Amino acid sequence: MPESGESPGLLRSIALPHTPSRSPRAVTYEQGPATMTFAATKGHFFASATWVMALAGAFAVASMAPARAAPVASVEPEQSDVAQLTPPQPSWFFINRGFTENSSAIYDTVTGKLLGHVETPQLTDLALDPAGKFYYVSSTLWTKASRGTRQDYVSVFDSVDLKLQADIPMPGRLLVGGRLNNFVISPDGKFGYVYNMSPASSVNVIDLVARKFVKTVELPGCASMVAVPGVGVSALCSDGSLATLTLSGAKSQITRSEPFFSATDDPIFDNFQVDRAKNQIVMLSYTGKIYTATLGAKPVISAPFSLQEAAGVPAGSAAPNQVNWYPGGVQQMALHRATGQLYVLMHMGEFWSHKAGANEVWQLDLASHKVVKRMTVPGEPRMIAVTQEAAPHLVFAGEDETVYVYDLATGKQAWKLDHAGNGVITVAQAQ
Amino acid sequence: MIHFDADSLGEKVLRRFAGGTSRRGILARLGTALVAAPLFPVLPVSRANAAPAKPDRGPEAKTTFARGAQVTDNTKCDYWRYCAIDGALCTCCGGGVHTCPPGAEPSPVSWVGTCVNPEDGKSYLIAYRDCCGKSYCNKCNCDNADRETQIYVPQLNNDIIWCFGTQSMEYHCSTAVLVGAA
Repeated sequence: MPESGESPGLLRSIALPHTPSRSPRAVTYEQGPATMTFAATKGHFFASATWVMALAGAFAVASMAPARAAPVASVEPEQSDVAQLTPPQPSWFFINRGFTENSSAIYDTVTGKLLGHVETPQLTDLALDPAGKFYYVSSTLWTKASRGTRQDYVSVFDSVDLKLQADIPMPGRLLVGGRLNNFVISPDGKFGYVYNMSPASSVNVIDLVARKFVKTVELPGCASMVAVPGVGVSALCSDGSLATLTLSGAKSQITRSEPFFSATDDPIFDNFQVDRAKNQIVMLSYTGKIYTATLGAKPVISAPFSLQEAAGVPAGSAAPNQVNWYPGGVQQMALHRATGQLYVLMHMGEFWSHKAGANEVWQLDLASHKVVKRMTVPGEPRMIAVTQEAAPHLVFAGEDETVYVYDLATGKQAWKLDHAGNGVITVAQAQ
Repeated sequence: MIHFDADSLGEKVLRRFAGGTSRRGILARLGTALVAAPLFPVLPVSRANAAPAKPDRGPEAKTTFARGAQVTDNTKCDYWRYCAIDGALCTCCGGGVHTCPPGAEPSPVSWVGTCVNPEDGKSYLIAYRDCCGKSYCNKCNCDNADRETQIYVPQLNNDIIWCFGTQSMEYHCSTAVLVGAA
């Protein structure tokens, strides 16, 4: 039991990680050298209780000492209440906690704090209302856990109290993890498009204003969608084209661009990035080719350039036995839209190592086709996102569920968040 | 609606691989070698420039996975047939390399891989059939990606839950069924 005269020392010792962090639930926040560990399991309850008793004892001893400051601990009777959020902020990110957890955690990159969770059961897709009022979750569950009647629906959650507003039933959806572009929202927030595969490919059109399923439209041989304002959706196809599905008229129509990539020899990653202000998508292939397409009824696709050559190293090759820098991971790149900077997860390896975790993040300036910075990164990340703040934060995660947040102004680590998740990372729009 | 025909798909995939490798591949490599030989001596540093026009899918074109693959332990991610598997190995969940664990149901359709058997150096077509209808086994999780593509080529993508045509689409684990020589 510490003496009352040692209370500053006691406070310091509480701030240091004396509680062992062996528990898988211990959440560690780190900034620079300081570490705070909050235990969250039964196993840690007793260790924590010991500290509480020690603390209580210290206060008891302190309270007997003369001329001390008034105690700060509230002793007023209390009521249970519930926290609320603001609508999503540009400094926030949402990380799917993985295949076996049922939620996406919301973190603020400025404070490093966990703010709450959006319910995202296994293999669901999260999308944000462009106006920031709702979170939409495209889900599949069975009536009796792993059996019974299959149910596919889009759940609507209020972004402030996170309460369920509605479930919108629909005919089906593809069950796959790690994809950004299987559930997309039109920029005006009025329609949701859910990719379905049965295994024939189609799109479910959801009216998000009326909260009603509208129709299913076939999209043969294509997947990975982007909403095209006033038109419908565009999607990547197995013949190497970009298909555009016109949904605005009475009859839906599919047109296809000329093939511009090989879907089996040098595929374009499903998780392309969307820039609404420029009405463009930015695409990346396994060998490191960067393509952009300006969206519309007839999309215009740029000639590709090599990401590696943009960094002054040889272009990536699809040939065997070539060791080089390659892009990889699950969510392989992140676009800071206002500045046109693309951040790509890169690793040394050979072709067909496209799921490997990264050793470096390359910052590509899309306007000049130059890699302006290469950053060594810890944790072999397979997921990356960048907040759309004016002073952006880079967020990345590897398989061990540790999330790193880097301040791009300084290039330094701002936060290391243990057990945060290893699924898709979503960021809010710029304001 | 398009009906999914596993036989026709298998045939297409086999023909594609067969057609994409031997004769044309050899001609392309021979042509490249003839052009490149005077310019680049046969040194490792020259290999990047001597790449054939098409990716080489032949057994001699070993990937990182194929070079490290083994044939004795099918509960390990580096077992040769697992060159494009993604998920929990059924061999660790009460099943086998082509056997679903008790109570699970094999999916009639699957994604496919072409893996090199280190014993004979030949390529074989592997059907990665998911076992379905039970909750996720979550043991011996592997994620190998030889010749694995994106979901717009679904039959070559290993992230998709392939429990189509089963009573429940709940994913339990994955098997690696040998279909035949590629």
